[in-house]
Amino acid sequence: MGSDKSIELSPRQVVPTASRVRARGRRWPALAVLALVFIGGGVVVTKFLSSAIDYYCNVDEVGVKDGCEAGRRLRVQGNVEEGTVASAGGVTTFAISFNGVEMVVRYVNGDPGGIFQECVPVVVHGRLVDVTAADGTVTLVFEGDHVDVKHSNEYAAANDDRLDQAEAACSLPA
Amino acid sequence: MRRTEIVSTNTGTTGTTFTRWFGLLAVVALALVAVFGLVLSPPDVVQGESVRILYLHVGTVWVAYLAFVVTAVSSAAYLWKRSSSLTWDRVAGASAEIGVLYMGVTLLTGALWGRLSWGTFWVWDARVTTTAFMFITYIGYLAVRGLGGSHRQRARRSAVVALLAVLEIPLVHFSVELWRSVHQDASVAGRTTDVTLDGLMLFTLLLSTVAFTLVYVWFVLHRQRVLAMEDALDDRGLDYALIERRREGAMR
Repeated sequence: MGSDKSIELSPRQVVPTASRVRARGRRWPALAVLALVFIGGGVVVTKFLSSAIDYYCNVDEVGVKDGCEAGRRLRVQGNVEEGTVASAGGVTTFAISFNGVEMVVRYVNGDPGGIFQECVPVVVHGRLVDVTAADGTVTLVFEGDHVDVKHSNEYAAANDDRLDQAEAACSLPA
Repeated sequence: MRRTEIVSTNTGTTGTTFTRWFGLLAVVALALVAVFGLVLSPPDVVQGESVRILYLHVGTVWVAYLAFVVTAVSSAAYLWKRSSSLTWDRVAGASAEIGVLYMGVTLLTGALWGRLSWGTFWVWDARVTTTAFMFITYIGYLAVRGLGGSHRQRARRSAVVALLAVLEIPLVHFSVELWRSVHQDASVAGRTTDVTLDGLMLFTLLLSTVAFTLVYVWFVLHRQRVLAMEDALDDRGLDYALIERRREGAMR
């Protein structure tokens, strides 16, 4: 009987349907991306815990606050003092201050780059070292090898008045 | 080959008269952003011309936040039993894809701005690190959507991830206030209501946000229709396979 064939119920070999094949084919790239996501996420979280939570110490905290001990490598934030920037022989020297405490910085990699200028806040990476002057006096200097130049959240239009422009950076908050 | 034929026969295009006009409006808005951002708005007193990157950087990150919120709301709507239409899932997926694209632009423009202003492309500070983490999370969300299974399984699984991932937005936004960061505080939507931008800069920034929002909506409208087509293709592929199997059975 022809109707017997149409109601054939015996078990057969499973033939993969188009959608099932596609789902399986897709799974491996997705799993590979997920593995990369977990690795990348792990790296980012590690960096966050080791670096981002306390990205820097302020100048007045060096040697005072936990994690800001003078003998270790530090990142120190302060405002570049007006009239202190000088360059010679690939070394830029300047002073930074925060809450009335000042620190002399000796940046050994030439020009700090970015929008570095007087009166802007910067974060200097380096360590405190003793420097002996020609007259034999020893001073504590922060020797930096990397500078992040901070920018405040204030934006003002530049204008033709050079005096206003020169003063603008110094009027920004630390 | 057969799959392509199925789509073109039954649906044709993802565009409508409305989306074409909407797309035109988005293009006009982008052109206005280019004019204001590159010509009419002034350079910043400290940053100079590099401030113009702000109009891309901030505009795209705000819309990326919006995209991820839409993903979360659509996912919640899907999980809510009375409205468990797969359309919600497709809107969630489309929105997340565009959000990831926007956030990629945010990170790229941020790195360029960082090189010009900070003196370095990248710093592992709180804002940059949390933003990178959110970007990676949503790439993970898209990978979860591609893990296979039925459409309903995909929708349920990804909805849960979306509802968790959206919690990162306040963490990213307020990271500059929670931790010490090289990144500047918010100039518009910070803790205080003070806006610290020059008038024309603020206008250009808001204009760019509107333009990128229009582009986002246009993308999502089309992308969720493409996703609907792909789902239909999967379903029809199954239907065709069943028909072929029945034919095979009838020939025995």
